[in-house]
Amino acid sequence: MNGEPIIRLTGLAKSYYRGTLEIPVLTGIDLEIPRGGYYALMGPSGSGKTTLLNLLAGIDRPTGGELEVCGYRLNDFDDNELAGWRATNVGFIFQNYNLIPVLNAYENIELPLLLTDLSRAQRKEKVLEALELVNLTDRMHNYPRQLSGGQEQRVAIARAIVHDPDLIVADEPTGALDAKNAEEVLNLIQHLNEELGKTIVMVTHDPKAAHHAHIQIHLEKGVLDRTVEVHELPHQEPIVKGHAIH
Amino acid sequence: MKYLSLIVRSLFRSRLRTVLTLLFITLSVFLVALMQGFLGTIDALTTSAASGSRLVVQDKASFTNVIPESYGNFLRAQPEVEAVTQFQWFGGEYKDPKNFFANFAVQKDTYLRVYREEAGLDSLPPEQVRDFLMDGNGCAVGKSLADKYGWKLGDVIPLRSPIFDMTVRLNVRAIFKGKRQSDEQALIFDLKQIQEAVPWMKGRVGSFVVRVKNGRDIPKLSERIDRNFANASPETLSMSENAFNLNMMKMFGDFGTMLHSITSAVLVAILIVTASTMAMMIRERSTQIAVMRALGFTTGRVMSLLLAEGLLLSLLGGLLGVGLAMAVAKVTAGLASAVLPWMADFYIQPDTLMLCLVCTLALGLLSTFIPAYQASRKPIVEALRAL
Repeated sequence: MNGEPIIRLTGLAKSYYRGTLEIPVLTGIDLEIPRGGYYALMGPSGSGKTTLLNLLAGIDRPTGGELEVCGYRLNDFDDNELAGWRATNVGFIFQNYNLIPVLNAYENIELPLLLTDLSRAQRKEKVLEALELVNLTDRMHNYPRQLSGGQEQRVAIARAIVHDPDLIVADEPTGALDAKNAEEVLNLIQHLNEELGKTIVMVTHDPKAAHHAHIQIHLEKGVLDRTVEVHELPHQEPIVKGHAIH
Repeated sequence: MKYLSLIVRSLFRSRLRTVLTLLFITLSVFLVALMQGFLGTIDALTTSAASGSRLVVQDKASFTNVIPESYGNFLRAQPEVEAVTQFQWFGGEYKDPKNFFANFAVQKDTYLRVYREEAGLDSLPPEQVRDFLMDGNGCAVGKSLADKYGWKLGDVIPLRSPIFDMTVRLNVRAIFKGKRQSDEQALIFDLKQIQEAVPWMKGRVGSFVVRVKNGRDIPKLSERIDRNFANASPETLSMSENAFNLNMMKMFGDFGTMLHSITSAVLVAILIVTASTMAMMIRERSTQIAVMRALGFTTGRVMSLLLAEGLLLSLLGGLLGVGLAMAVAKVTAGLASAVLPWMADFYIQPDTLMLCLVCTLALGLLSTFIPAYQASRKPIVEALRAL
């Protein structure tokens, strides 16, 4: 694992505004996540965990503090730069899979690659690799409506990794699945982390899901409440500034 | 090209709605193309170059009245005049009132000079010209008309006219090819046949058609002719043949204003329906659009894809519409020319086709722009939260 953190947050803050009324959602978040780490963001509803995930993924903007991910200071990026950055560095896994219904599994997975300069043959090679990884090669021509929830989420995972991003963000990836499929998906995410070295940041309510992570970060009313080490981070102590690891 | 599949499938995501919208655009463009094609045909009829060198002299009160044949002497004496012919609408029916086509009684020799382009005089065999002029019962028919009824040289054609309450038996002596389809929809024969058989037509004609050496002389010549007969009975009304044709068209109503108004209304309807469809299609997919943007699609790229959908929809509708209009125009030209000879030239002009396609594409773009702009700029987080 690389010693340099992949995510570095310093005094990160996010507020929403209703008219002139400021509604703080996150305040003073200081956090460093090492490359190859598997982190679970936990906390009650409204604690700011999804907002934090959105900020890390570059689909939302902070209203204060510093946000550095994958070596880039995202505060400075405009919308197009952020889009380009996401296309290269981030893979998304959503609770409701969010596959494009008019595209089959193969085409859904290919979607992020359309933004690259890869040839059709090169794209195909990468999509087939991703399909094999999630064990859905035989379902590549199926449309989302022809897949089970678990299979849909596996397609979404393949889409998240096909362009080989360093960071994968997952928002309640098992929230819509039964226990068996949830376990399969969690094992797959763990595989991405352990075998492919992907950094995972996952929002979850589910303690079982959170147990797969190395570190659980608990948020409470928009601030970091506590950090729990579940499994030892491989080769390196976690770097979490300002909070004790219990 | 790598996005084409995504664009097409997104467009047909809700197949029924897209097909219905496509049908609407198709029918609308069809209507617009047909109406504009009709106007174009009328325009061609009233602005033809040959017609620009002819003027029509008729009774001032009504073109259905007759005027003295002797008026022709004054016309022929004018220095600007090249040739003068006499004209009378016969309105004859062939065997059955349903077999209606344009047939005129004319002064044969001068007709061929005044209407040399329409009668295809250059390509008409000299022996046919001779036979037509020599035979008092001879007639010349357009090739399209002859083909329609299977007439050949030497055939006898009985024509019964309810206007003159008489029947003429005409020998086909010439079959001419005109420059336009509509030129070939007429039959002409000797005016003397009517003048000799109908007492009130003796020494009278329906109108004169004057061919001038220079079309620019028509206004001053018209003015001079009408001034000369100002105190005569009947007085005359002279005008260019183009103006005469236009007046004939106006008898059916002000086509131009009416059809342009309908065209405008149809175009506005296309805009509203397409905008409504595209707005619905895009709103329904706001989460998908947000997902694509999260994956790294820029707002510009997302907007381009959405605009491409609108353009594709309107292009398909436009092509189908003009295709249908071309087919219908062809059929209509064949059917309507039996009653209105000039309708034989009815077709959708290339500039009308282009206008329809450009208007449809512009409307497709315009109707998609606002929903596409809104969707591509909506904050990703907000759109994802709407799930």
